[in-house]
Amino acid sequence: MKQRLFVILSGLLLLVACESYDCTLYNYVGCYAAFDVEGEKAKINDTLTITSGKNGPTLLNRSVATASLNLPLSYWQDEDTLVFTVEGKEYFIQDTVWITKTNQVHYESPDCPTTLFHTIQSVRNTNEFIKSITVIRSSVNYELTTNLQIHLFPDAD
Amino acid sequence: MNLPRTCRFICFLTLISLACFPLQAQEPEKKEKQPLLSGVAVSADVVGFAMKAVGAKFANMEVGARINILDKFFPVAELGIGDCSRKGGETGNTFSTTSPYMRFGLDYNFNKKHNGNRIFGLIRYGFSSFKYDVGNETFTDPVYLITVPLNLNGEKATGQWLEFGVAVETKLWRFIRFGWSMRYKFRLSLKCPEEGNPYFIPGFGKNDSNGWGGTVNLIFDVGKGTFNFKKKDKS
Repeated sequence: MKQRLFVILSGLLLLVACESYDCTLYNYVGCYAAFDVEGEKAKINDTLTITSGKNGPTLLNRSVATASLNLPLSYWQDEDTLVFTVEGKEYFIQDTVWITKTNQVHYESPDCPTTLFHTIQSVRNTNEFIKSITVIRSSVNYELTTNLQIHLFPDAD
Repeated sequence: MNLPRTCRFICFLTLISLACFPLQAQEPEKKEKQPLLSGVAVSADVVGFAMKAVGAKFANMEVGARINILDKFFPVAELGIGDCSRKGGETGNTFSTTSPYMRFGLDYNFNKKHNGNRIFGLIRYGFSSFKYDVGNETFTDPVYLITVPLNLNGEKATGQWLEFGVAVETKLWRFIRFGWSMRYKFRLSLKCPEEGNPYFIPGFGKNDSNGWGGTVNLIFDVGKGTFNFKKKDKS
């Protein structure tokens, strides 16, 4: 009888169920970019503002002494247009960068935020102060490594 | 039924109590030789059905069948349907699946006394090929503020896993038995689309590399001695 009681009561313990969430802790998906001038690390000392297109959201607002960027890409657009504006005391110059990409949904669980990963297909730019851009790593996901290397003209920093 | 983290403590206590509990013979020990085929049994996991009945977020409803060999070895087959319908409170993400799964394995009875109680060590191989839906009706790009409903329906995945555990059962009345099992599960493989892992694997539980699970079984066991009625003394 003791044994039966033990089996039945301990079986009831199994009815207790708990739940925990294991979401990715760092879940920001950004396109990392770094500046260089002729292969040497560089930074833009003047005020740098980056917007999406002419009237889109501001992605970077009046940053000073900028050596690297971490820019969110759009979820659904096939091509993002980024306008880089550099303001000095007596000048105001702009370059436009077009990033062509594919977008892939990244779903973890009902309790974790869904996001989109991207694969950069190509990058092109105008040439006011940005000389060229090299795609270092095309996958844009949770990894914190450089995606784009932005080469500046020698007198741009 | 998943029992992560804090509940593992409860499970651990249960295991300890099982190990410490003295198994006293209810009947004098008899050294009788058991027949090769000592019986067959079918069972159902009552927790899975109960969870479904009360509208739980997920449930594994399963039935099983086994053969009793020498009252020691019990080859087992378990067949079930895993059901999960879940919506994240803060994210608005949804996940749903209703798919079958199966397990095969063996129970080994450690109780040498044939007194109606059994203590099993168990091993299972589990498999499920299933489809699932994920979605979010208000999925919004937080920077560009564009809302596009997310609907990924009929995503296909295949999961395989191993289970090791213990189980106990006791005779309630004639051929009706009651028991429970506690299992540690290792996921062997999971093939799924790149869009995202399934939240739930039918038969395995919440998707992770490993996890705890359990069953509470009602068993109908037809075997040797099942219908041995006590002879009444005529004197």
